[in-house]
Amino acid sequence: MAVIEVTDLRKRYADLTVLAGVSFSVEEGEIFGILGPNGAGKTTTVECVEGLRRPDGGSVSVLGLDPVKDGRRVREQIGVQLQQTQLPENIKVWEALDLYASFYANPRDWRGLLEEWGLADKRNARFGKLSGGQKQRLFIALALVGNPRVAFLDELTTGLDPQARRTTWELIKQVRASGVMTVVLVSHFMDEVEELCDRVAVFDRGKVVAIDTPAGLVDGIDADHQMRFTLMAGDLVELGGLPGVTGVTRTGNQVVVTGRGDFATAVTAQLARHHVLVSDLRIDKRTLDDAFVALTGHSFGSTH
Amino acid sequence: MTKLTIVELKLLTREPGAIFSLLIPLFILVVFGSSIEPGDTMLLPMALAIAVGLVGLYLLPTTMATYRERGILRRLSATPVRPGNLLVVQLLLQFVLALTACALLLVVAGTVLGAHLPTRVLPGALTFLLGTAAMFAVGLLIAALAPNGRAANGIGVLLYFPMAYLAGLMQPTDQMPDILARIGEYTPLGAFRQSLRDVWTGGAPSALLLGVMAAYAVAISIAAAKFFRWE
Repeated sequence: MAVIEVTDLRKRYADLTVLAGVSFSVEEGEIFGILGPNGAGKTTTVECVEGLRRPDGGSVSVLGLDPVKDGRRVREQIGVQLQQTQLPENIKVWEALDLYASFYANPRDWRGLLEEWGLADKRNARFGKLSGGQKQRLFIALALVGNPRVAFLDELTTGLDPQARRTTWELIKQVRASGVMTVVLVSHFMDEVEELCDRVAVFDRGKVVAIDTPAGLVDGIDADHQMRFTLMAGDLVELGGLPGVTGVTRTGNQVVVTGRGDFATAVTAQLARHHVLVSDLRIDKRTLDDAFVALTGHSFGSTH
Repeated sequence: MTKLTIVELKLLTREPGAIFSLLIPLFILVVFGSSIEPGDTMLLPMALAIAVGLVGLYLLPTTMATYRERGILRRLSATPVRPGNLLVVQLLLQFVLALTACALLLVVAGTVLGAHLPTRVLPGALTFLLGTAAMFAVGLLIAALAPNGRAANGIGVLLYFPMAYLAGLMQPTDQMPDILARIGEYTPLGAFRQSLRDVWTGGAPSALLLGVMAAYAVAISIAAAKFFRWE
């Protein structure tokens, strides 16, 4: 069942088109990634889905409801972690959870959330005294306290150190493990969506350029992979005829083999069979970064 | 709504600004109060106007602009609760704070200092309501226009001193240049102080000044509502 259905969503600010016809749907129980560089329209899309913004055109349905017309009923069933929001400096962790729990008809017990998100010993700490990672965990706990059917997490690891990012990823997996809850994860980190998401919508300049599983996106790249190594002893044997290999170039002892599919296995087997010793063997694995370049014609960091 | 009120009340008591709004007017009252004559009708209206002015011009806009700046209103609009509830709760609590500050002044003045208190309650209460409404309206307009909490704080302080001077809170109006004293009487804070003074001397506050405060309250509130942004 589709939990979220977005069709031809459009939004303009003055003469800037932010969304130029965005469509996708999110299935129940999946972690759905919304990936793209800054300014691609990710947050605007999610805010339209959450009912925080009114789209200029197109339609949005969340759990079968219109987030603008049935705003209250939609917000009762979703949990949101927004980019760049804070709490009052002096509110205590337990007070924030207790307060947000009171907003919902059927909330979760916030004491359990404190335990789950490792905030039990920070229960009486004030928000202003928390570390970046603790604040982030509190925001996620606040997004879950209403017992939502869909949780929206927007750029949740931005500004965290690598260690804290890893920890947060584990927590997101835990969120999903705890139930059938659907998660929409907005991110501009490739590794994050690769690690966490079942399916990803790739955004670029207000459009969805592809929707697939992370592996599917990478496999879909119509380009050769490269394998490099340095010859140590023995002569290079014939590799060009192996299945999948599309080219072999040799510069001194440096060899680059290009190919598709599982060509690397065939190449290493051939080398071993003929006792060719090589070192510095590297296979350039395609990543979502490459998929993004292939899909949009420009690199992820640049928007032009 | 009850929980929101309780939490906001707790936050207010943890706010140093709230304590200052209670203590600064009290300090002024006690320092100058020890040398006043028993029938004085100047000092207490001044202290009351200072208290309401501090809450309205300083604490209210700073709190509200900070809530917007920190995205607290936006976060709230993603829950089933309307962010407007938070503004209503804040207004209510700030009003209670202003009321508490004034009650504290009256009690201390009445007991420790033995100062003169007006006997008629109704005109006093009406003046307090209208004056507070006018000052809160100015505070809301600051909150609506200021880009962030620090700016709201700055604008509040910047407005406070000229308004306090014109209102005769820095020096008695009879020592001010005539023209400034006349103008000052029609500023929100000046009309408030003058009306309180009228109540203290036993007369009724002038209908004109009450009307001036009501007009400020309505007109400035409308402007604030028009310019207010949720995010």
